[in-house]
Amino acid sequence: MRLVRILILTIGIAVAISGGLPLAKRGLSVVRAAVGDSKPEVQLNVTNARPREVEESTQQSIIRDYGRAWQGMGTALANNQMGPLNENFTGFALDKLKQRVKDQQQNGLTTRVIDRGHKLDAVFYSQDGSAIEVRDTATVETQVLEGQTLIHSDEAQVHYYAVLTGAEDRWKVRVLESSEK
Amino acid sequence: MRRISFWIATFVLCWVAANWAHGAELRIPQNATAGQSLTIGAGAGGTLYLVGPGQVIKRKVQGGEDVQISGDELRNAGRWIAIVRGGGGDQSQVFWVRPGKAENVNFLARPSRVPVNKPGVISGVAFVFDKSQNLVIDPTKVNFSLSVGSAHAEHTATSSNGVAWVTSSSAPKAGAAQFVASLPDVQVRRVIEQVASDPCNLKMKVIQREKGKVTVETDPVRDCTGNAVPDGTIVTFTQTDSTGRSVVDARIKKGIARAQLPAESNARISVASGVVLGNEIRLGGGQ
Repeated sequence: MRLVRILILTIGIAVAISGGLPLAKRGLSVVRAAVGDSKPEVQLNVTNARPREVEESTQQSIIRDYGRAWQGMGTALANNQMGPLNENFTGFALDKLKQRVKDQQQNGLTTRVIDRGHKLDAVFYSQDGSAIEVRDTATVETQVLEGQTLIHSDEAQVHYYAVLTGAEDRWKVRVLESSEK
Repeated sequence: MRRISFWIATFVLCWVAANWAHGAELRIPQNATAGQSLTIGAGAGGTLYLVGPGQVIKRKVQGGEDVQISGDELRNAGRWIAIVRGGGGDQSQVFWVRPGKAENVNFLARPSRVPVNKPGVISGVAFVFDKSQNLVIDPTKVNFSLSVGSAHAEHTATSSNGVAWVTSSSAPKAGAAQFVASLPDVQVRRVIEQVASDPCNLKMKVIQREKGKVTVETDPVRDCTGNAVPDGTIVTFTQTDSTGRSVVDARIKKGIARAQLPAESNARISVASGVVLGNEIRLGGGQ
């Protein structure tokens, strides 16, 4: 009889832990995303890069700067700030994201991007080493808030095409476009 | 009879309920394209938000009413979220907007200045965009042409992941080369300055000898394909004699470099430009 009790208690604890851990993890990631301090995990594969091979040092820079760009975008969209965008984006990507922040501000919306990592595949690296294009398979949770009210939430694996160009001290994202394919 | 009436009433009720439920659903076409209008069934009505990659659209809608989004408004391709608030609960749905047709090219041509007659030194990269600056991922044919004077080279490349590129050799003739990337309705032009390459057959002669000085001068300096080497290029004259070595760096002026050296007997004068060596002259003993 005692053995059965212990067994039931053990199962109960196991169920509580299995349910509670992911919940706590999720809660933590939401908090992190809200304050914008989570640097996403980025992996880069360069075997398909053409017409030039990607140097080791460039690979490290791309991993660092693409991660920073997503972190900056997360902060910008969560707090409706332009600053983090200017540091990491340029060209069309910057124009579009600034417009998004402006529109969010106007309509009382914010977006939390809970970033669960990126798998990058370099598909183009220019002969002169000034531009690189990557195909990104990103796992992201997107939450749209109206004021403090959550009005949409989804988690998905999304494909992005990103073009990065060399700037003064880092690579900046010039094009960032999600695609269904 | 009562039974038949019962079944008819049940069917009508179900049909009305299904219709009402369908009307209350958020309905978005699955073939939306950037720059083209879009009709959305906003269900029970309320406030409709369309949250796109680079914009947010907000509309107040009445229940059962369709919302028309114009092509000018729907500018960004990518993943969008449609959210309807109020009118019987919140609803949201993810939908995709494809890029429009290729209408713009972002063209990078490198380098801006290049020596003539060098293989594979010019590279052209074209990123293909639609009219709203969305990267067009579908393969698109981009025509590249490089022309200087009457020399003309053309190449067609198909874009992959939104980018097409070519490498090309520089032409044998110096001048401003027009490097053009084009789609059927758009052309982007870049200028690449093709300059003479290293000098070829560098030759000098003595043109004057008086008062202990000797003046030497090159023939017009040209590269191996006959292009005049630009003025300002350095030509080095070196004289070696019993007292030591004298070196004069002279710039090419009007196609010719000239230098004045001490006229020592049995001196040897040589000429060079960059890595190219020219002829040698011996003073006091003939050439």
